[in-house]
Amino acid sequence: MKHIFVVDDEPDVVGLLKTVLELEGFRVTTATEGRTALAQILADPPDVLVLDLMMPDMDGMELLKLLRLDPQGANLPVLIVSAKSGQQNQIGSLQLGANAYICKPFSNRELVAQIRQLVGLTSDGGDNE
Amino acid sequence: MRAPRRLQRRIVRYIVSVVVVSLLASAGALLLSKQRSLVSSLESSARTFSAMVSLPLAKDVELFRQTGHQVLRQQLGRFARLNHDLVRLQVLNVDGVLVMDARVKDGQVELEAGERGGQAPRLRDEELIGPVEALSLSAKRVAYSGRGRVYRVVAPAVEEWGRHTYTLVAYFSYARVSQELLRAGLVTGVFLAIGVLVAYAASALLARTITGGVEKLQAGVQRVAADRFDERVEVDSGDEIQELAESFNVMADRLQASIAALKDAYVRLESLDQSKRNLLANVSHELRTPLTALRGYLELLGDGQLGELVPGMDRAVEVCQRNVGRLTTRIEELVEFARIDRDGAALPMGTVDLATLLHGVVETLWPRLEQKNLFCSLNIPMDLPVVRANGESLERVFLNLLDNAIKFTPQGGSIRVRARKLRLHERDGVLSEVTDTGVGIPADQLQAVFDRFYQVDQSSRRRFGGMGLGLALVHRAIEIHGGSVWLESREGRGSTFSVWLPLERPGQLDAGLPAVDSAQSATLDGTAPMGDAGRSEA
Repeated sequence: MKHIFVVDDEPDVVGLLKTVLELEGFRVTTATEGRTALAQILADPPDVLVLDLMMPDMDGMELLKLLRLDPQGANLPVLIVSAKSGQQNQIGSLQLGANAYICKPFSNRELVAQIRQLVGLTSDGGDNE
Repeated sequence: MRAPRRLQRRIVRYIVSVVVVSLLASAGALLLSKQRSLVSSLESSARTFSAMVSLPLAKDVELFRQTGHQVLRQQLGRFARLNHDLVRLQVLNVDGVLVMDARVKDGQVELEAGERGGQAPRLRDEELIGPVEALSLSAKRVAYSGRGRVYRVVAPAVEEWGRHTYTLVAYFSYARVSQELLRAGLVTGVFLAIGVLVAYAASALLARTITGGVEKLQAGVQRVAADRFDERVEVDSGDEIQELAESFNVMADRLQASIAALKDAYVRLESLDQSKRNLLANVSHELRTPLTALRGYLELLGDGQLGELVPGMDRAVEVCQRNVGRLTTRIEELVEFARIDRDGAALPMGTVDLATLLHGVVETLWPRLEQKNLFCSLNIPMDLPVVRANGESLERVFLNLLDNAIKFTPQGGSIRVRARKLRLHERDGVLSEVTDTGVGIPADQLQAVFDRFYQVDQSSRRRFGGMGLGLALVHRAIEIHGGSVWLESREGRGSTFSVWLPLERPGQLDAGLPAVDSAQSATLDGTAPMGDAGRSEA
């Protein structure tokens, strides 16, 4: 069972992501604070990290930077899920080493498709996005 | 500071000249009357003297002639001391023959003729003979060699019993009068000079008090003209100029207050406008986050992933989903508008191929064209040049225009998208048009269409939804690109939105012309590949 780690400061969004991904058969760990999340991720690296950009204690970009500096997190697939639109944010986070970027509000199917791609699983044909 | 000096000079010149003229006039009058009185006193004393001395002198002359008695010389000396103006004494006998001639020089008397037995010349002067014969005293101003004019008195000596013996001719000089006049003139001149100096000083002082205030006022006006409203003019002359300065200060007070209020208002407005722009640009996060949860859970519900829905619930979920979708679109529009409104001028520009862009836009909205059974044609020439623009923002512009056309065109209508080269205002550019067969816009409302949040009327708002922000965004974006957007419409027949974009932005002539990219345009099929498809798929 693939392990997905979700970091978002908004509990409702965390809840949604957890529900959607668990329904898709993933094991989901969540955190609402960047700092504790980083420690947890490095202690038990997931298969994919789903990361929000705007968080009060630690910016998503900052977390991503620190993660990439650590050998444990250097190659961890990261999907950015952000309410910030605009090419600058997308390009900025991709340059920092994010693997994919989707904007809020996103469609569940789009999210799942991106995650599947990142964990290297193919869609089992249930959804055709 | 030139004007006040001129004023000062004028005041001084005026006062001094008035004083000089009046002083000169009175000095002249004074000297004239002085001269008159001097002359008349000289002449009257000369006549008196002559009348007095003619008889005694005649007796002395007679005595001298007969006896050679020297009393004549003493007598002449006394006479010379008696009248200081006397310059010459002559004595004629009854035949008019000069018997004595004496000159007075510096109080000394010199006898020149009338020696006893001497041959004296007979006086031939006709003017003298007349008075001598008339036996009465006569006087006249005459020319006298070397001395200008002298006063000549002819006084016959007539004895008590009426015998005429000799005639005295006395000459009196005006030199003393001239000297007196000269002295008086000098004194007058000194006083005149003093008067003029005093007048100059007084007028300069007066002028200074007047122009000093004027200078201060002028300096004050210049300060106000240089935006220094906080300084005041201090004039303490107690006259109209002080009043003027006080009025000026009151005016400056009011100006300062009004300008401060205006500046205040301006700063407040600026910051309000800025915070409005920032607010609109920054609320996106706040608006999108709750929508994320809503959209996601509704999708889970709608997909039945949280369990089968009771009949009726699925309908409710669908309505919720549709409205969340609409809300999302509106928020995206709002955010996009705010972004362009705020950072418009700083948008990164690149070369944009409108052919590709327009095809992409039609493709994006293809599902909606199908949904409303609309015919759509795309007419773009192969050699359409590229424009310099922000691709993202231009895409938004044409998405909005096409979306608008779809929204207002009834089922089965048609939409035409065209592009061509067009020279406008002396500049090369590309004109793109989106024409629909929709409801159209009344002529009197054409102008207002591009205003923010404007939509033709409330009923059409209800019919078609939307906030009308899309066209405001189009207008602002094209404005930022240095282009033009305009609208032709006939109510009930449809509208054409025209967007003209310049090939280069002013001052960027070097940029982006390598670009009649026929290869890229050629991949598109020129005219209307979509049109037939749109028709047939309905």
